[in-house]
Amino acid sequence: MATVKLTNVKKIYGKDTVAVQDFNLDIADKEFIVFVGPSGCGKSTTLRMIAGLEDISEGTVEIDGVVVNDLQPRDRNIAMVFQNYALYPHLTVFENMAFSLRLKKVPQDEVYERVTAAAEILGITEYLTRKPRALSGGQRQRVAIGRAMVRDSKVFLMDEPLSNLDAKLRNQMRAEIILLRQKIDTTFIYVTHDQTEAMTLGDRIVIMKDGFIQQVGTPTEVFDMPINLFVAEFIGAPKMNTFKTNLICENGKYYVTPYGAKIEVTGKKGALLAEKGIQGGEILLGVRPEHMTLSTKDDPAAIPCKITVNEMMGSELHLHVVEDNGDQLIVRIPTVTLEDEQRKSLVFGNTIYVTFEGKVMHFFDAETEQNLLV
Amino acid sequence: MMKKNTDNRIRKTGMGAKASRRLGNTVVYVILVLITLVWLFPFFGIVLESFRVESRMQQSYLWPKEFGFDNYIRLFNETDFMQWFKNTAIMGVATAVLQTFFVLSMSYVLSRLRFKGRKGLMNLMLILGMFPGFLTMILIYKVFTDLGLTMDMAPVGLIIVYCASSGMSYYVSKGFFDTIPKSLDEAARVDGATRWQVFYKVIMPLSKPIVIYTILMGFMAPWGDFMLASYLIHENSAGMNVAVGVFEWLSKTMVNSNYTMFCAAGVIVALPVTLVFLMLQKYYVEGVTGGAVKG
Amino acid sequence: MKRLNDLEYLKLNKLQVLLYNLKLFFCATLPQFFKNIGLSILNFFKNCGLWVKNEVVDIVTTFTKGNWAVKLSFLFFGFGNFYYGQILRGILFLVFEIIFVGYMLVPSGGLYWLAKSNFLKTGSTVGTVQGRLQYDALYDTDVWVPGDDSVKVLLYALLTIIFIIAFIYTWRLQIKQCRICMDITAKGKKVRSGKDDMRSLLDDQFHKTLLSLPLFGIMAFTVLPIIYMVLIAFTSYDAAHDGYSNLFSWVGLEHFNELMDFGQGGLGLAFGEILSWTLMWAFFATFSNYFLGMFVAIMINKKGIKIKKFWRTVLVMTIAIPQFVSLLYVAKLFDATGIIGKLLLEWNWLPQSMIEANELSLWQNPVSAKILLIVINIWVGIPYIMLMATGILMNIPQDLYESSRIDGANAFQQYSKITLPYMMFVMGPYLLTSFVSNLNNFNVIYLLTQNNQLINTEIGTAGGVSVCHTDLLITWLYKMTLNSAESKYYLASLVGILVFVVVAALSLIVYNVIPSTRNEEDYG
Repeated sequence: MATVKLTNVKKIYGKDTVAVQDFNLDIADKEFIVFVGPSGCGKSTTLRMIAGLEDISEGTVEIDGVVVNDLQPRDRNIAMVFQNYALYPHLTVFENMAFSLRLKKVPQDEVYERVTAAAEILGITEYLTRKPRALSGGQRQRVAIGRAMVRDSKVFLMDEPLSNLDAKLRNQMRAEIILLRQKIDTTFIYVTHDQTEAMTLGDRIVIMKDGFIQQVGTPTEVFDMPINLFVAEFIGAPKMNTFKTNLICENGKYYVTPYGAKIEVTGKKGALLAEKGIQGGEILLGVRPEHMTLSTKDDPAAIPCKITVNEMMGSELHLHVVEDNGDQLIVRIPTVTLEDEQRKSLVFGNTIYVTFEGKVMHFFDAETEQNLLV
Repeated sequence: MMKKNTDNRIRKTGMGAKASRRLGNTVVYVILVLITLVWLFPFFGIVLESFRVESRMQQSYLWPKEFGFDNYIRLFNETDFMQWFKNTAIMGVATAVLQTFFVLSMSYVLSRLRFKGRKGLMNLMLILGMFPGFLTMILIYKVFTDLGLTMDMAPVGLIIVYCASSGMSYYVSKGFFDTIPKSLDEAARVDGATRWQVFYKVIMPLSKPIVIYTILMGFMAPWGDFMLASYLIHENSAGMNVAVGVFEWLSKTMVNSNYTMFCAAGVIVALPVTLVFLMLQKYYVEGVTGGAVKG
Repeated sequence: MKRLNDLEYLKLNKLQVLLYNLKLFFCATLPQFFKNIGLSILNFFKNCGLWVKNEVVDIVTTFTKGNWAVKLSFLFFGFGNFYYGQILRGILFLVFEIIFVGYMLVPSGGLYWLAKSNFLKTGSTVGTVQGRLQYDALYDTDVWVPGDDSVKVLLYALLTIIFIIAFIYTWRLQIKQCRICMDITAKGKKVRSGKDDMRSLLDDQFHKTLLSLPLFGIMAFTVLPIIYMVLIAFTSYDAAHDGYSNLFSWVGLEHFNELMDFGQGGLGLAFGEILSWTLMWAFFATFSNYFLGMFVAIMINKKGIKIKKFWRTVLVMTIAIPQFVSLLYVAKLFDATGIIGKLLLEWNWLPQSMIEANELSLWQNPVSAKILLIVINIWVGIPYIMLMATGILMNIPQDLYESSRIDGANAFQQYSKITLPYMMFVMGPYLLTSFVSNLNNFNVIYLLTQNNQLINTEIGTAGGVSVCHTDLLITWLYKMTLNSAESKYYLASLVGILVFVVVAALSLIVYNVIPSTRNEEDYG
């Protein structure tokens, strides 16, 4: 139960390989923070600096108001779950979980109580006498979490804990972590490269790229109002479609003209554009696949495309289409909205017409790729 | 066209494949048997000759005309062999203990800990290893003579020589430590362990094979060493190890009366070492292969 | 030369690839290698200059910015530490200084030994008082009045120099610590106490604890003797000038001239001859073992071969038996009177020319002796390689073989396209170390040939010992120091330095040229 504060934290390897740049973040007590980004973005390095496993090149890390830069990991009162579990192969599950308590010379009764309590929560009581070797991947992961749980640590760090599990197990564990979080009421910092995990788990998400923080915000914020093109494309699957197009302002109304179609910007977005006093010109337009809809030839807002790939996902259909200029787009259509006839026509080579509404667009500067509305 | 041909051949030789493999295996068995004979011949030879009674000289036939324990009796009654054997055994045990400590410390530090000068240290040891090591014995002999650690006391001096610089042969065990995931150390450190606790609570229990390998190597070194030992002990003295002691018997002047006794001594020396070695063979193999793979 | 891009390279046929790579090696890789060496030497000096500059600046600022205690610690160690509350460190520094000053100044202390040794002063003796015989009335005979012992004088002088360097380093260290303390207190933080220091020796400074003993051992028993040995090359230390009955002296580079002597018994001739056989030996010993050992491993691991463990154990036994037993016995087997030697004679398997020259065993002819050495070394070495190769063979992913079988490879193609490249890659570094250790393979050569010496009459005696055809540099050195009446230690030192140069140069080139040290990730 603690706050964590990072001020101007920087990590430099060797002479000039910068892994983390000017990292500033205030983490509130009992908050669940997720660092997310592609591999090599510096998210794990930041976590390891908080844990004390990496030196901090510049800046300070505070836990509960105390600067911990020069403290050893064991003096920081943190718990950590590793990607490859890092269970001690020579110890039983019980001793693995008791390891930190033994080091602190906690009496046996208490060790027993705390380990069995944690095992109970995680459902691994029957494996307590086994060695890690004899456990499945999911069970090992639970032991790793249990090992972190038995300590009353101030901060709970998790470094891609689910990425070694298969897809089904990962979904299950993700749900369990949400439950777990309600049971152990502490500050969490969670690192992942998977945006779904980030969105479902985090109170706030920190999106990183090349050592820089791109955006910090709640899942809704980063989804609805991505600060730049990178965040927009990173959050959400399949990734957002982008068009290089013109924004025109006529009689106080804004229009975009992707591929010859003309679509009016409506709703909040239109008002915001006006409020910011944006004149128009060449921009990058972003539309999420789920916001694209099928249309007909005579619709002035329709863009004609050829289907290249049809992915049937069950509840929805992912259509990869190619526009006349050769640009690739993805359209996501719920299957319930499709008639059988229409479904049969969505095959390779057929031409379809797609469009989108005026209120779902995202506008990015063509050069800086920053969101024009933020 | 080509493709069809090969297809046909495969079909035709469908039965023949098995036969040809059997033929191949037979050839391999023949070679292996030959190899076995060549490799074991000297050992049978040495055992047989050690029981030869009719002559103390080297003979050009293998099978003794008369079997007996004469050579062994002479070995124990007329020579200091027992003393040499004892010296070597003591050296073996002491070297095994000390050297293991030195080697494991060095390799653990170089594998797991990061500190300023680590690369430099490794380079230094690489370069030192390129000097003909025994030239250091010129000085060491002189100093040890003053300290009284040669001749009768040579075993003590030799233990120091064997162990002192043994940190330089850290490669194999470092290779082993390198294979233990780093995250185990990190997990333990987050769990509240000091580096020292990481060392003896996590790494050591996981390193049984390499510990045994290092002990084995340390134990065997004094049995086979002739070069270094011959610096500290050159005349007949109570401090000899078996190699230096027995070597004399094969010199031109002595070989004719001592050859079969040399064989007996060889058998006595080889027995314990070979037994220990074969018992712990598994760990030796692990050490050798691990070291090769890690470079 | 013109470098091809990837696509152009892929167009070449096998012969062109070979030619291209050869050309690349000689026209680009080698020159680049030497250029790199030159550059790194240049860089080294540049960095040295920079380092010295930084040190001086840092020392001066520490002095000008420091308070009285810091200024005082430029003369008296540890005062800065005392001032900032690091009592333990302060005491250690101060005690070190007191010991140092005491040692240097006492009557037979550091300065005394340094002066006595005439360190590196060409033409002067090491030590000043020559021991001599003097008439003693009591015993009515000449008795030996000992003087200096050059060996000891030189050793003490060397130790003193090391002590002085350590002193300067410590002086700098405690000044640096003053600086660190100044910075820390300026930021308003607390400096580390003695208790913290002790605690950290088991934690973030744990390497110091673990390394202290092994490093001390290496320093005392390898580094110090090697430096001493190098110094010996500049003196006249031998049996006639053993330092005790006769002082030896500094001769400068005089002995290096002897290396240029290519006449009979000349050092240059002997060194050249022995070096060429040493290199040949190392080459054949390494590669014969490597290929045959691998072959044996593949045979034992072949599918369908039973009792694999038995075959392996048979071979491994040879490792277990101490070499002096097995090698001495095997050497005797090939004697003219030995079991095998006799058979060779009886069956007339020795070449006629040898019989005519009255060379009745394989040991008595230079060529056959050398071949025999390599063959016996195969007997010694195959088990090691076999074990290693077995480990690697088991590590080769089986799906490589499966997919190659589907691609239509036969057993031989699998071997040459998968097994061999994989082995080559993994064992590349091992081949190098094994080559180096074969250069210095004392046991095999000495134990096999010592009782069958085959004197090389072209060279005759060099360095005070008769040189054999089969001598490696290392056995030659060994005999020079131990088996020779003249005990020319200075020559041994000189040759030792040369051996180092040869080995270091070879390793450097090979390390930079063989592929597996460069593309470490290829087989990941």
